[in-house]
Amino acid sequence: MNYGDTFPEMDLMRSEKMSFVQLIIPVESAHRAITYLGELGLLQFRDLNADKSPFQRTFVNQVKRCAEMSRKLRFFKDQILRASLPSSVHPGMRPDIELEELEIQLAEHEYELNEMNSNSEKLQNSFNELVEYKIVLEKAGDFLVSSKGHLVDEDRELDEHAYLNNDYSDATSLLELELQPEPSSLTGLRFISGIISQSKVMRFERILFRATRGNILFNQSPADDPIMDPLSTDMVEKTVFVVFFSGEQAKSKILKICEAFGANCYPVPEDMTKQRQLTREVLSRLSELEITLDAGIRHRSKALTSINFYLTKWLIMVKREKAVFDTLNMLNFDVTKKCLVGEGWCPIFAKVQIQEALRRATFDSNSQVGIIFHAMDALEAPPTYFRTNSFTNAYQEIVDAYGIARYREANPAVYTVITFPFLFAVMSGDWGHGICLLVGALYLIARESKLGSQKLGSFMEMLFGGRYVLLLMSMFSIYCGLIYNEFFSVPYHIFGSSAYRCRDNTCSDAYSAGLIKFRDPYPFGIDPSWRGSRSELPFLNSLKMKMSILLGVSQMNLGIMLSYFDACFFGNSLDIKYQFVPQMIFLNSLFGYLSLLILIKWCTGSQADLYHVMIYMFLSPFDKLGENQLFWGQSVVQVILLLAALVAVPWMLFPKPFILKKLHSERFQGQTYGFLGTSEMDSDSEPGSARQHIEEFNFSEIFVHQMIHSIEFVLGAVSNTASYLRLWALSLAHSELSTTTSKILYINFGYDNIIIRLVGLAVFVFATAFILLMMETLSAFLHALRLHWVEFQNKFYHGDGYKFKPFSFATLTDDDV
Amino acid sequence: MGFSVTTLIFAMVGLIASLSTRICFNKGPSANLLHLTLVMTATVCCWMMWAIVYLAQMNPLIVPILSEGE
Repeated sequence: MNYGDTFPEMDLMRSEKMSFVQLIIPVESAHRAITYLGELGLLQFRDLNADKSPFQRTFVNQVKRCAEMSRKLRFFKDQILRASLPSSVHPGMRPDIELEELEIQLAEHEYELNEMNSNSEKLQNSFNELVEYKIVLEKAGDFLVSSKGHLVDEDRELDEHAYLNNDYSDATSLLELELQPEPSSLTGLRFISGIISQSKVMRFERILFRATRGNILFNQSPADDPIMDPLSTDMVEKTVFVVFFSGEQAKSKILKICEAFGANCYPVPEDMTKQRQLTREVLSRLSELEITLDAGIRHRSKALTSINFYLTKWLIMVKREKAVFDTLNMLNFDVTKKCLVGEGWCPIFAKVQIQEALRRATFDSNSQVGIIFHAMDALEAPPTYFRTNSFTNAYQEIVDAYGIARYREANPAVYTVITFPFLFAVMSGDWGHGICLLVGALYLIARESKLGSQKLGSFMEMLFGGRYVLLLMSMFSIYCGLIYNEFFSVPYHIFGSSAYRCRDNTCSDAYSAGLIKFRDPYPFGIDPSWRGSRSELPFLNSLKMKMSILLGVSQMNLGIMLSYFDACFFGNSLDIKYQFVPQMIFLNSLFGYLSLLILIKWCTGSQADLYHVMIYMFLSPFDKLGENQLFWGQSVVQVILLLAALVAVPWMLFPKPFILKKLHSERFQGQTYGFLGTSEMDSDSEPGSARQHIEEFNFSEIFVHQMIHSIEFVLGAVSNTASYLRLWALSLAHSELSTTTSKILYINFGYDNIIIRLVGLAVFVFATAFILLMMETLSAFLHALRLHWVEFQNKFYHGDGYKFKPFSFATLTDDDV
Repeated sequence: MGFSVTTLIFAMVGLIASLSTRICFNKGPSANLLHLTLVMTATVCCWMMWAIVYLAQMNPLIVPILSEGE
């Protein structure tokens, strides 16, 4: 029953035909062959060395070298980022260089950069120290000037300014401040000057006091600007201090405490001229160092810019090489050690292209021996490969998220492209919201090329990936909004005037008995008279519930039909006779009949209670129907359908396991008969695949499996049909939310005050954007997804395949580096 | 406009859509079949939605009763 000859086959319906192939590649052309295959991206290699650890594989050294190179490249990237150079947009177009050359170049660049970095660090350290020294000289000089008040000195200056600068610590003993040059005089008073961070000054002072039992004089003065600390390279507020003390012991104690607190001590000569001379020297050295530092930074920027130019290209190259070596590691050496043997899957349509690539590789590597490429038999099931374009890709991903299709089974994505946005729209039908979604989708599609090349956040990426889904969702939303006649929950008389009018001219009983229908129903959609009326909800609820049942039964029937086509395709007549037929009978005799009753009730306007009809069909099928009669002969039909449903249940439960058992034993017995004459050749002549099937046929397992499947279907028929009522529930929720937000706007616009109107408008926009457009959209999306994944797909979809993952350079991501 | 007339209109629109997709996006037999399937599914879905709402309003059991605030 193969219709494949009369109709053209649809590629998306069933996965591509795959073939298991073996490659025998001579060693000299191996690297090039794998590279060309990577560019082509249509062959999935099987890992023949899966049991070996990464260090036992053949090309482990090359992989290590690639990893080392990528580490160096990451280091460069980091350095370039730190130096805040703009990344180059147009990568350099240098002719291709070999991997070994690249390795040497990278090593050179790294060495150069490391040297430059360490040199500049040393220079920076000296620079910082000199800056501190300069400040210490400045401030300490002031202390010493003031403290030498009454000493004989050429440049003795009573500096008022210096007095004001000094913070005299509350020393318990004020020492005689008789400072003298080197040959120390009677008191042997000396001083230590230095600089310390401002936060530590107080504790420093206190500890100095305690250590020297108060026999010091401590002066401090904060520096004007923050200075860069040589050790921590932060900008820190520092304070200059001078400690006057006497005695050797005190000196060693003070020095130790200085070291502990991280205070830097700098010698300051007491002599004014020497101070000035030293200051001049320090200043000149500082300016020299600045020039050197600047030159160093410029040199470094130049080196980094030249690296930056080629960085992206190098990164890509190293990534590719690593991928090639990883793939080469999956191949095996053959006995002669001159060839590599590889196995993998490839689609049948790609065979020609692969052979072409292999031919090119042989030619380019000047190899004498060609590459052998032939098909083999495989024990496992082939991978699933769908050729999708950017439009169908999103839907295929939605289907794959539940489970990858089995090899060549029917792909629900073909129908999901339309039914998923459609069911979404049924649940969120409002053509005002639909227009907003459409604008968003069109914006994403218009900016496709620009957004596609950028790196987006995870939420934007999902939104961008599903832009075509969003487009269809919005278009169907507009359509359903026109049918539900809701524009931000306001109905319009787009398709003519209402079919309802008052009973008489006074409209006196419009509020009690209601309007009457005086002509044909409103031509497209729900009559605008319903909105705002008191009987709106009963009418709409009844309509939407029945609509959900009708849509649900249709989709489930479509699912069962797809299972029929699958059974036809795989030639499984057992499934058709003992699964498809009873399933169709069961579902349609109950829920198909319910749908029929709904349609008849609508067409005839009967007042029959369908709940009553359905329930009493089971409870008392032979009772008279009375006023619940919808068509002539209904009771007979109902009895027949009930019997059919009851027969269908054992029909789908029992025959299949028994027939499978009979088939299996037939086959097994047939083989035993066949080999009677040649019993020695039993093990040789059996093909490997048959060997695996002479596992014992576990009847109980098959029976339980069939029982579970049948019970799932029977109970699922009821629960899945009820599950479709979520279409009603969500559309009601959407409509109510929309009404509430519109009411807020309407109430606020009733006032004349512009502020209240603006507030109302703001609340309306905010609520619409966040609650309705975002939350409700996501909610309807999720429920439509569930309806597809569970209620539609469990009628036919197995979803236990695995995806085709070819070795391709295009799919290498940044994480692989 | 009656039920049958509008159903015919839906069928015509579906036909026109399939023909125009065949003309504009002719990309080989497999892709053509896929496009045809998509257009037909969309037409059937849209028609079903309209038909359900139309049939439900043909012989209604309740009528709109206006509420006070109207």
